[in-house]
Amino acid sequence: MKKTIVLVAALLMVTSVFLAVSASESGKLIIWADETRAPILQEVATTFQDAYGVPVEVQEIGFGDIRGQLATAGPAGEGPDIIIGAHDWLGELIQNGLIEPIVLPEAVKNEFDPVAIDAFSWGGQLYGLPYATECVALIYNKDLVPEVPATFEDLLTTAKGLTDQEAGEYGFLIQEPDPYHTFALFSAGGGYIFGTNPDGTLNPCDIGLDNAGAIAGATLLDQMVKDGIEVAGADYGMVTGLFNTGKLAMMIGGPWTLPDAQKGGINYGVAPIPTINGNAPKVFVGVQGFMVSAFSENKVLANLFIKDFLVNNDVMLKLYTAGGRPPAYLPTLTQVSDNADIQGFAASAANGYPMPKIPEMGSVWSAWSDALQLIVSQQAEPAEAMGDAVDQIKALLKCEQ
Amino acid sequence: MVRTYLLKHTLQIVVLGVLDGIAIWIGTSLALQVHYLTAIILILGAVGINYIYLSKRTYAMRYLLPGLIFLFAMVVYPIGYSFYISFTNLSTGHILNQQQVIAQITDRFYTPDDAPTFTYTAFKNEAGDIAILLHGSDGDLLYFQGEISPVKGSDDRFVDEDGDGSPDSFLSYDVMTLPQIIKSLPNIEGLRIPYDGGTIRLDSLRSFKMSVRRYSYNQDADTIRDLQTGTIYKNIEGFYTSNDGEELYPGFKVWMGIRNYLSLVLNPLISGPFARVFGWTVTFASLSVLTTFAIGLFLAILLNDPYLKLRRLYRVLVIVPYALPAFISILIWHGLLTNMGLFNHVLLQLFHISIPWLENAFWAKVSILLVNLWLGYPYMMIVSLGALQSIPGELYEAARVDGATWWHRFSRITLPLLLMPLAPLLIGSFAFNFNNFTLIWLLTEGGPPINARTVAQSTDILLSYAYRLAFQGARGNQFALAAAVSVIIFFIIATISAINFRLTGALEDLSKNV
Repeated sequence: MKKTIVLVAALLMVTSVFLAVSASESGKLIIWADETRAPILQEVATTFQDAYGVPVEVQEIGFGDIRGQLATAGPAGEGPDIIIGAHDWLGELIQNGLIEPIVLPEAVKNEFDPVAIDAFSWGGQLYGLPYATECVALIYNKDLVPEVPATFEDLLTTAKGLTDQEAGEYGFLIQEPDPYHTFALFSAGGGYIFGTNPDGTLNPCDIGLDNAGAIAGATLLDQMVKDGIEVAGADYGMVTGLFNTGKLAMMIGGPWTLPDAQKGGINYGVAPIPTINGNAPKVFVGVQGFMVSAFSENKVLANLFIKDFLVNNDVMLKLYTAGGRPPAYLPTLTQVSDNADIQGFAASAANGYPMPKIPEMGSVWSAWSDALQLIVSQQAEPAEAMGDAVDQIKALLKCEQ
Repeated sequence: MVRTYLLKHTLQIVVLGVLDGIAIWIGTSLALQVHYLTAIILILGAVGINYIYLSKRTYAMRYLLPGLIFLFAMVVYPIGYSFYISFTNLSTGHILNQQQVIAQITDRFYTPDDAPTFTYTAFKNEAGDIAILLHGSDGDLLYFQGEISPVKGSDDRFVDEDGDGSPDSFLSYDVMTLPQIIKSLPNIEGLRIPYDGGTIRLDSLRSFKMSVRRYSYNQDADTIRDLQTGTIYKNIEGFYTSNDGEELYPGFKVWMGIRNYLSLVLNPLISGPFARVFGWTVTFASLSVLTTFAIGLFLAILLNDPYLKLRRLYRVLVIVPYALPAFISILIWHGLLTNMGLFNHVLLQLFHISIPWLENAFWAKVSILLVNLWLGYPYMMIVSLGALQSIPGELYEAARVDGATWWHRFSRITLPLLLMPLAPLLIGSFAFNFNNFTLIWLLTEGGPPINARTVAQSTDILLSYAYRLAFQGARGNQFALAAAVSVIIFFIIATISAINFRLTGALEDLSKNV
């Protein structure tokens, strides 16, 4: 009997350790940033510390883990005051009650790319300070393709001439199955993800991935496979690997692929994806920025840090140099605009489509990716695959069909 | 003798003392934060531990306790938590609890266009109480001891010692410098000063602003009222919802009963693929055990032959797959098997064919079984080698004398004598492969898709299907639904383990020793 009591007591003690909630430190700023941004923020943090005497701690967390860990740490009072993140997390973070609007004077807002400010806005309020925009574009090897093809049809003809699969040489590849990189084909003819309600919000039950334009895009991809241009199993590692060794002439890729291409000594160029059937394709535009946790005890300080210490050319330039993505801060963008890569991506982003920021995107990515894989591996007809994918998304989102 | 006794006891007392110190420290700070229940549980636990380590009666418990604590923390607690989660609606939009949500919603403000702003002077006394003098366009306001009142031009409570026009002290309060203000910011930031139908709160480091509370909470009716529009939001399934169906974000976690389990059965989108996934899980686990055991045993018999030359070298070589971390070797296999990987390259060069190893449902299953065979046979070989050596050689001699063929010797002597000690290991291997998420996710990610209409993919096992439901589901993360699948998997594995124990009689042996 005694043993039982003691055992229960001991187990209860362990339980209490799990239940114990310790309060986050007040009067101290904690920032979560990924390994690229953390060293820069550490410098800014030191300046802030000198000016206000408030200790700032920059904690390095993988970019992809920040969102998930905030959901656990924030409500437990263990979380950060400021996080770095992507604008398409916004819907999930807001619906989970994890972030708070930030306060930015109109004049400061006007110094930013309006698309980026719009991307971080939700319900008329601004939830983040943008620092970089990113999108994909056509990246080509100038030694193999001296001139950017004027149209997508020309591009495919050129690509076909350069492709020799037996010799391991390719003309043009899109990594598959990957909706993000393939969206250009869908959007050119009028395919879209979610339609908009009259009040400007997205309608998750109006899905434009099986309309005529989207199916035309899926059919084009199918034709590329049939013509021997696109191949099944072309994933990110393979596509970039081929490009960096000069065995691939053109690909669709983002700014993150450039450092390795430079290391490979490739004489590359960046340009918007050419018009498909006379229509300019739209690419997804993503925006990265700083957000304030709803569980921060130092919201005023966090806002101060963002407004007074991050919004300046010096910091923005450093963030640009580290990440290589076009700055969202206009003075910095102007300063770096003679860079040919930035020009290419900026031209591609100019006709962009902000990545939807509602959590319903989760079901779109997986169903759409399934459809692409079936098309590329020639196991389903494009129209059928896209129709099925939209049915799956609507069923998952419990839309009335 | 006496010295070791003293040393042991001093050590015991010191360690216990440190533990007690920590317990008291955490307990007090918990009590200060009004977590009384947790504090009481903690202190009870600490008393229990002291009793165990000081009393002679509980001598055996001293050695069992650390193990029990880990068992509880790493096995019982996660299982219990998964059970609990599976009965809630924990998912995107429902991760906070109701108190947190009410606190967050009722702390939302809106600022009218003509809302006044105030610069301020802050004062602090030695006890740390704060008084705020707000400077507005219509004169000053004083916030002091929870009350706000207008300040007349000549208030002799304020003393301007240096005569610069701004007060330096107020009663026993001294004016705060900016660094002092920054140190106390969390306190000042938390101030909600009701004034003139609105609320004055800190707006920036140097100013306060008047704003109006947006929502109020009615505790009796459990409703939230929008003070701006008058809309009433009722608590419906984890959302405060208006009559028109408008939901206030964020939502919160609520008890849903067996709803998640029902939806596993009733929602055709989820239940449709469930049987198929379950079927493949069982097939995959059984075939994996069968193939790895067959190859492992075959190699063990070969390598057990004393006439085989260089058998030590062979033994080392065939164990190599076991020595590599599976995480890495699976990724290498993935690279070899992709459409443009090495395997297809060779096949294309030699025979002008290529096999869709990972793109076709049938071949993906073959690939998974082959890779798992490669990963798993060394283990089976090692255990078979051990067991083979325990079979007495006389049995084979006697069999030979009686004219038994090698097949008879294998099927009547080797196999029965091997299966006895190996059966529990085979069942254990089945249970392991039943949950072999690493292999599936790294090699095929459950793919290829069956069709774009179905959530599950062709090589999904139950666990990867649960992962898919949780993290690639309808909208954001469906933790509760995935927890329900995990609980079902738990029961399946528990049943297998129970059979395992029954077969081996391990439980009976265990109970004899206790």
